[in-house]
Amino acid sequence: MKGEAHRRFECFGGTATIHVCGANTAAGEKAADLARMRLLDAHRRLSRFSDKSELARLNDDPRWEVPATTLMRALADAVGKAGSLSGGLVDATLLDRIERAGYRDSLDGEPSMSLRDALASRPQRAPGAPRPDRLWRSIGVDENEETVIRPPGVKIDSGGIAKGLLADLLADQLRQHRAYAVDCCGDIRVGGHAGLVRRVRVDDPFGEGPVHELKLRDGAVATSGIGRRCWVAPDGAAAHHILDPASGEPAFTGIVQATALAPTALLAEVYAKAALLAGPKRADEWLPHGGVVVRDGGEVDVIAAEQLLTAVAV
Amino acid sequence: MDPLEKIERKRQARHRIRAQRKRAGTLKARVVAISLICFALLWGVVFVQMATGNDPVLGDSSSTVAKGSSGRNRHAAKAPPAEAGASTDSEEFGATEPEELEAEAFAGEPAEEEPVEVEAEPVEEEFAEEEPAPVITSQS
Repeated sequence: MKGEAHRRFECFGGTATIHVCGANTAAGEKAADLARMRLLDAHRRLSRFSDKSELARLNDDPRWEVPATTLMRALADAVGKAGSLSGGLVDATLLDRIERAGYRDSLDGEPSMSLRDALASRPQRAPGAPRPDRLWRSIGVDENEETVIRPPGVKIDSGGIAKGLLADLLADQLRQHRAYAVDCCGDIRVGGHAGLVRRVRVDDPFGEGPVHELKLRDGAVATSGIGRRCWVAPDGAAAHHILDPASGEPAFTGIVQATALAPTALLAEVYAKAALLAGPKRADEWLPHGGVVVRDGGEVDVIAAEQLLTAVAV
Repeated sequence: MDPLEKIERKRQARHRIRAQRKRAGTLKARVVAISLICFALLWGVVFVQMATGNDPVLGDSSSTVAKGSSGRNRHAAKAPPAEAGASTDSEEFGATEPEELEAEAFAGEPAEEEPVEVEAEPVEEEFAEEEPAPVITSQS
């Protein structure tokens, strides 16, 4: 679109893009630059791969109650919401287990194992289930004291929840512009007061062209999948970063990628991950606003929305 | 009335009837001939009009706009916005003859695709300039 500012940069282990169409070109450019700076700053503060990040310091802190910035408190709050909304399927307290599975450092770039090889090496398929102890319930926020409260040793994995949360936070700051889109590595929020329809293409987990195209006026889309980060675990088995909370092992449910529509990016992220973990038979139950599911064999299921979003066109 | 006069009257009556029939036949022949000529002329005009590509249906103003617009949209979708904005409607229509439109519609494409283009025209027209850049959602 004429006059729309675009920014594309590496962030959160992937590629983030920002599109802003302001009242004039200069306003759009300025807003896009500001959004980019905020996203990169948030990345520095919430990365679990940097010992100096606020998240790493919180995870290592031996106190029950730890002073935290507004952003960190928002993340802690989002972890609780994600667990609650998904019945424990989306659990951001599995950091120890994912590190044990071999995901200690950022896996930027090409996966060390292709998705097809990973699927072939792990023939068993089973839906995920919540972790019995539900540690995400122990995480709380005290806004008056500006602290995060959790038992020492309970670690937060920023993961997809942080991306969805940041897409929403940036969207709040961009909503006065004509049109905007914030794409935090697959967690997308679109909107703007002009009410323009933006196309959102759903990427193919097997590397082909887009498998589907959505049209969105004001809302969010998030995609969760196992194909982007596949590696060989220390035990020699194929592994990826989406764990079954119950077993703590990489989840092979029969779905390789789930895309969810929702009013907010955080909600879309929760729905997408829950749909993936629920497996093919129950994935649609986690997509009340519609979505797209890609199964192991490459079959694409387009789920119709049960609840229509206001001003959202699919 | 004597017999000779009677015969004479009968002869005159037959003569009048014959003349009347002859006039009626001539009139019928003229009507048929004029009808045939008019019919042939009308179809000749239609044939010539169609053969030269001036189909009156295609020549209708609303249809021309629809076809011309779809062609413009295809052009605008490929060209950058500045280029698309630089060409005017009159230039687009002036450069496209009806023969070319027909040839374009049938050359290498299934015939049924043409109405789809025309139907999709209002949506493309609406977002030709206003559609924001698409985004791609991939695995996070």
